[in-house]
Amino acid sequence: MKIKHLIYLRRISQVLFLLLFLFLLMETRLPQNVFLDYSQEIAGPKDIRLNYPVMFFFDMDPLILLTTMLSTHKWLAGAGWALAIIALTLFLGRFFCSFVCPFGTLHHAIGTTHPAAKGRHAAAMNEKTPSQRLKYGLLLMVLVSALFGLNLAGFMDPIALLFRSLSVSILPAVNIGVKEVFDAMATSDIKILNLISYAAEIIVSPVLGFGYPAYQTGFAIGLIVLALLFLNRVRPRFWCRVLCPLGALFGLLSFKSLLNLEKDETRCTGCNKCTAACQGAASPRPGVKWEPAECVRCFNCQHVCPEDALSFRFILLKSQKYAPDMGRRAVLTGLTAGIAFPLLSRLDGQIHQASDPRLIRPPGSLTETRFLERCQRCGLCMKTCPTNVISPALGEAGLAGIWTPVLNMAIGYCEYSCTLCSSVCPTGAIQPITGKEKISGPIRIGSAFVDRGRCLPWTENGACIVCEEVCPTSPKAVVFREADVAGFGAERLRLKQPYVNLQQCVGCGICENKCPVKGTPAIRVIASGESRSPKNQILLIS
Amino acid sequence: MNTNSLLISRRQFIRLAGGAVLYSMISSPFPGIAAETGGGFIAEASCSKPPCDVRALTRKLFESVGGMSRFISKGDVVVIKPNISWARAPELGATTHPDVLETVIFLCQEAGAKKVRIADNTIHEARNCFAVTGVDQVAKKTGADLVYPLSNLMRDMNLQGHRLNVWPVFTPFKEADKIINLPVAKVHSLSGLTLGMKSWIGAVGGRRNALHQDIHQSIVDLAQFFRPTITLIDAIRIMTANGPSGGSASDVAVVNRLILSDDPVAADAMACDLFQVKPSAIAHIQLAQKWGLGTTDFSRLTRYQVVL
Repeated sequence: MKIKHLIYLRRISQVLFLLLFLFLLMETRLPQNVFLDYSQEIAGPKDIRLNYPVMFFFDMDPLILLTTMLSTHKWLAGAGWALAIIALTLFLGRFFCSFVCPFGTLHHAIGTTHPAAKGRHAAAMNEKTPSQRLKYGLLLMVLVSALFGLNLAGFMDPIALLFRSLSVSILPAVNIGVKEVFDAMATSDIKILNLISYAAEIIVSPVLGFGYPAYQTGFAIGLIVLALLFLNRVRPRFWCRVLCPLGALFGLLSFKSLLNLEKDETRCTGCNKCTAACQGAASPRPGVKWEPAECVRCFNCQHVCPEDALSFRFILLKSQKYAPDMGRRAVLTGLTAGIAFPLLSRLDGQIHQASDPRLIRPPGSLTETRFLERCQRCGLCMKTCPTNVISPALGEAGLAGIWTPVLNMAIGYCEYSCTLCSSVCPTGAIQPITGKEKISGPIRIGSAFVDRGRCLPWTENGACIVCEEVCPTSPKAVVFREADVAGFGAERLRLKQPYVNLQQCVGCGICENKCPVKGTPAIRVIASGESRSPKNQILLIS
Repeated sequence: MNTNSLLISRRQFIRLAGGAVLYSMISSPFPGIAAETGGGFIAEASCSKPPCDVRALTRKLFESVGGMSRFISKGDVVVIKPNISWARAPELGATTHPDVLETVIFLCQEAGAKKVRIADNTIHEARNCFAVTGVDQVAKKTGADLVYPLSNLMRDMNLQGHRLNVWPVFTPFKEADKIINLPVAKVHSLSGLTLGMKSWIGAVGGRRNALHQDIHQSIVDLAQFFRPTITLIDAIRIMTANGPSGGSASDVAVVNRLILSDDPVAADAMACDLFQVKPSAIAHIQLAQKWGLGTTDFSRLTRYQVVL
């Protein structure tokens, strides 16, 4: 293959990695063919695990590796892939952006199929602008704030951003559209429509989720990703050029790379086709200084040059001249923001004072400080949860914790023996746990309390005790006492009135989820008593 | 291999969907129960000494009453209703014993059933329940269809009960030729015991958590709507405490018994004995007898006893 034809290799790589990303996204769910050996002993039930390494893209993301190491001062397991990417970047430059990154591929595709401008205007749009310095500022902000204990990488890391947006916003929204059609078909009197609706739901549910998965703040997350994709109409690959902190990191790593653009000014006729095709706004035109840190190594310029004036070769550049154009202002702004955000974010008292009662983290989560050091807000745990209980936080974890996972018992509950979310966390914000640990620990995520002003037996409105029935612990955490009450009818009622044994309660929230009083249920779980926090305890001995 | 089995299960589901629709067009919803016309039976099987071969015990029980072909005809679509409400290992006694379920499916297939389906609207997340209770593995081994309780498989029907009227019904039960109720015997704080008739709560959808407000009448309303061809109560392991979800080995007693009857009330009444409870102490059993759904008087039934 001639080096000129590298763009075909690039396209194949882009498609393959995008498909792999989507495949792993789809597989981030309870396996569809889970066959457990039921002959196993009670003591060691095998935990259900995913069939595929769905953390792969996160494992090879150097920004996640770097921020997590800065914030935790610890080595991150599974970092081998990220190191390999860094090593390759040192040689090849920002190849990740053009060959691997699924978000970059989406931008690339939109920019190509729906170009913001054509001809001369296209070249003008691909001229390097000072705004491209912003990404270095954002990168510095992310790195410095990680050093101060707040990991903001996940907001802007393209892998986390794309995964989160697809899994808690785009796919669930598509699902709602599709399922509402199916439900309408299922209630139809025409039998063939019923048949198609059953079959279609069975086919799409493993991809889009069973029922109607719901995520709070999904609307905002979807809006942001759509806006970012729309920005391609303003400038091609606006995200990659101006905003992406991972791209900025690769830019910094690549300014001494060996695969560089050689320009032959004698051959150049000044047609400027190279600039019109440039993905990174890296000034490929002979006569101006090439920007290796902006170049995403898409090889378009070399491919379109009619005079063969451009070629990528393994050569050494004089590094001073080609250093990334970061801009002093962007650097200072990034540094200031990086110091300010972690401190400002603690003003809400979530860490040093009492935390929000609704801040219920998935089982296995680290203490709140450690958690915010690691969580990438990527949505892996949310997507994989079979009961849909994990949602991106809005206000529960304070402004610093927005989109981190919290449990919303109105939507789901934490399955007693399930530990899937802990098995997929790419940074260990949710530590890997086994079902046995979860049950026998026990790992408490909160505590349930009965609201006697709402509970049917306590308000003498009738029998119920659903909370006691569904309570999964043994002995049950929800117990009851029998009371002879007047009720509202002619005869007296003998009712079982529930209350909670906090020594037993693990906070799973199935009682809250199944309570017939909807909205504000008559039994609710608060974070207090969660085993991850030594401070947030209720009982003297638990 | 993985994708392959996924495809197979999809195909099964599609075939299931097709079959379900076809059968809804040609079959009558519910077969009557023998007890109403007299000549009902009740059979008990038990193991004399451990370890108990549960599969052999189940087979022997059916042989003693004349074989599965007495209940299942060639070409029938049989829907089996196990209790797999909880994502619990079978050892914890919260769900139907997978070996009993497996043997009953094989017996149905041997009797010429065209299609055997396993259906239960679970309380815990259904796919977790399928995996952990072992029923997934049974379905894989036997080739029976395991029906996922999708919301569009729930259809509003008039139960014409005393307490319950229009309620969403899990359609496989509506579309079956024969229904086998295969509950596990457990204690329950509100209804006293969870046996055969209580198990029908797993055949409906909707606001099931409101049924508890009049649990006994609700159970009887459901039992008069869902009339199984036979009820087989799995008492290999019974849950004696902390029911109906259990969660600890200490909640379970291994008694190695099975109770089979075409009279749902009699089956439940006989299972009361396992818990040293009188049938008269369980309000829904009394109520069901009053409503003519069956009898607690075993002398009116042909009795069989099997010991392995």
